[in-house]
Amino acid sequence: MNLNAHLSELPAAEAAAFRTLVARLQAAPQREPSPQLASRILAAVASERTQRPTLNAQPITTNHKPVTSNYRLWRWAAALAAALLAAVTLFNRPAAPLPAAPLPANPAADPAAWLAACQEADGAWQPARHGGDPAYRPALTALAALALARDPADRFRAGVRRATDALVALQTADGAFGGEGRVRAYNQAIAAYALATLAPHGPATAAALERAVAFSRAGQSAEGGWDYEAGSEGNTAVTAWQVRALAAAAERGVGQANIPLRKGLRWLRGAARSEGGVAYHRGSAGRSESLAALAAYTLMTSGRAFDGLPALGRHLTDTLTAADGAADCYRDYAKVMAFESAGDTARAEAVRTGMRHRRQAGAQDPWEPVGGTLYTCAFTALAARQ
Amino acid sequence: MDSVPIDQMNDADLMLRVRGHDDEAAFGLLVSRHQKPLLNFFARSGVQYDSEDLVQQTFLRLYRYRQRYVATAKFTTFLFLLARQVWIDELRRRQRRERLAESLAAEPHEEFAAPADPSAGAQGDLDLARALAALPEGLRQVVELAVYQDLPYAEVAGILGIPVGTVKSRMFNALAKLRALLEPEAAAAAPRQAPAKGDRP
Repeated sequence: MNLNAHLSELPAAEAAAFRTLVARLQAAPQREPSPQLASRILAAVASERTQRPTLNAQPITTNHKPVTSNYRLWRWAAALAAALLAAVTLFNRPAAPLPAAPLPANPAADPAAWLAACQEADGAWQPARHGGDPAYRPALTALAALALARDPADRFRAGVRRATDALVALQTADGAFGGEGRVRAYNQAIAAYALATLAPHGPATAAALERAVAFSRAGQSAEGGWDYEAGSEGNTAVTAWQVRALAAAAERGVGQANIPLRKGLRWLRGAARSEGGVAYHRGSAGRSESLAALAAYTLMTSGRAFDGLPALGRHLTDTLTAADGAADCYRDYAKVMAFESAGDTARAEAVRTGMRHRRQAGAQDPWEPVGGTLYTCAFTALAARQ
Repeated sequence: MDSVPIDQMNDADLMLRVRGHDDEAAFGLLVSRHQKPLLNFFARSGVQYDSEDLVQQTFLRLYRYRQRYVATAKFTTFLFLLARQVWIDELRRRQRRERLAESLAAEPHEEFAAPADPSAGAQGDLDLARALAALPEGLRQVVELAVYQDLPYAEVAGILGIPVGTVKSRMFNALAKLRALLEPEAAAAAPRQAPAKGDRP
């Protein structure tokens, strides 16, 4: 029996109504896979081929409960296979470059090494494996790549390259990097910045950057900012990341980045109040230490070619405190970058010391439940001394 | 079998080549043929941004479980059985995430914004996607497999592990609910017919 035969059993009027409904369901537009999906799948399977033994069990048939009937047996077999694989890995220490190797026990001891060890076969990172929300995979991949690239010993050059390849593969035709709504905006800003900063020169990178810049231009408000919400003139957080991405793209010769960059910097300049305060929205009287630091750093670096902007960034930096009570690695990263850019290495080190103490005390970052260990490790590594 | 060009082989023969010889080309053809139906399977399940990840996970499972495939099983049945398991795992992860999100709601943080509630702003004009997403999971899967994947009821029953009679009753209930959501006036006017006796689970 199939659906058609089933509907034929119903009264004629009801069958006709249901047939119309089924036709409507079947006519609904379908999503097309991204052009890179098949190659990503085959790359993941190729990696699987080299890492895992074939899992054999009872054959499957159509008219039984195939996997579920052997589910317990299968789980035991899988657990046994995993244990054997782990034992082989532990004692033989093969030269496998991908994360079959056990992760360092303490991510805080060497966050960059921990990040490198949990990079996936496709070059990205999977937040779901580390307590994060998988929706943020592009942004967290970008942050992890930026963290690896900051390693003073340059231990992770190959991993950075694989990460930027993964970001290019994650990009969709419109220049975004996945996600919907707020997630999409967040992913796009940070992934575009990482790509513009880290990706090797070449036609694939150039095309990806042009797409990313086109997306940024399309989303910029008339006032020059960006926000997660439609109709807003912008918020400081996403505008700062977009400005950093555009400045890096402009430095690489993406001409379309220049105009939105100028507008974005103008918006940020307007977000800085005379006493040094910076709020999430420009009209707000509130003050955010993390956004003041992020704006300061952005004005000093991305705005260095413009009169007055580096000085404004230094002014904002002067108003920042180096000592904070609660854990917030995003804020600490922004402060370290601002202090270092302003040449204030003593206060940058004070921020790092505070981070270290809070970590030792077990303080939890407010965004660890969303970003997971990837998030905290990436920002910790980004704030480390170079 | 080998006299047929590989790109003209049916799915079952390709899968047997994957099982027997770890044939990469055969696996690539299976990916090429089935990535879109799988993508839409997950998208219609309500996955907003990670549908492609779930497709990838399904094909990885297909590869891992390749020795379990036997020629008597229709390939799509085998594939959607694995996809359903991937979806169940995803639902479990979502439940964990929702618990986390609830605990986080007390501490709003503007810079790392949580995804917007996909149901926010819905005004009662349910489109197809919303109507499908509004179905209970058991009903939606029957629609997915029998309507979109065009599988016979016996195969739907095999994938979901339920009797064929239950597939029929779920299908009837699913279509009735969809009609009520999409065409509320017509559905209210029509006399509701019970499914044939014996179809109830």
